Amino acid sequence: MASKKDSVISADLHKFLDKRVRVKFLGGREVAGMLKGYDTVLNLVLDGTIDYLRDPNDLHSLSGETRELGICVCKGATIQLICPADSIEAIPNPFTPQPDS
Amino acid sequence: MLPLTLLKVAQGHSILVELKNGETYNGNLVAVDAWMNIHLRDVICTSKDGDKFWRMQEVYIRGTTIKYIRIPDEVLDMVKEDSQVVSAIKKPRMGGRDGPRTRGSGRGGAGVRGAPSGRGGRGGRGGYMARGRGRTTNS
Repeated sequence: MASKKDSVISADLHKFLDKRVRVKFLGGREVAGMLKGYDTVLNLVLDGTIDYLRDPNDLHSLSGETRELGICVCKGATIQLICPADSIEAIPNPFTPQPDS
Repeated sequence: MLPLTLLKVAQGHSILVELKNGETYNGNLVAVDAWMNIHLRDVICTSKDGDKFWRMQEVYIRGTTIKYIRIPDEVLDMVKEDSQVVSAIKKPRMGGRDGPRTRGSGRGGAGVRGAPSGRGGRGGRGGYMARGRGRTTNS
């Protein structure tokens, strides 16, 4: 049982070590990279990092282009969200009313 | 009912989390911690404008980026039952804590009511002050 002061994120990050993770930052930047290390305040070391470029007019929507960043250290304080990179798939609207109902 | 208590009770249920950037995440709440960091499973992410959707196996969301969380009604019923159980367990202690508080306010009340006699006491303190002044003049 995790103690009261344990973060649910840093407690579980070990299972993503040497796996590709997708990270979203404050301000809209998104990267994916192989998780090589992390600490208690969620600073990350990512290898083979790819930065997903964004529409210059709308910094919250991706343009589909990417650029290579290589190995980088991500500052924990600016991280909004972490998820395994391989489990993301775009889907059609799942909330549209079903024809049956 | 505290926000984090409600979220703890909601573990295992489907919730909706909206981030400050407008994205929403629907998924099963696995865990929540003291910072409101959230671990969701079987997630559907909706873009800010609501026209793009992604399925994700699991996500970890920073508590500081959350705008609000929607929780199903059945969790609300559960937390009501929960708090009744908790208050039943805590009752003896609550009574103990209430006791001194009541007595404390009682004392306060008596103090106010007994203000004339209380002033006598303060007069005594005045005497101390006078003594203090006296010492100053002496030295």
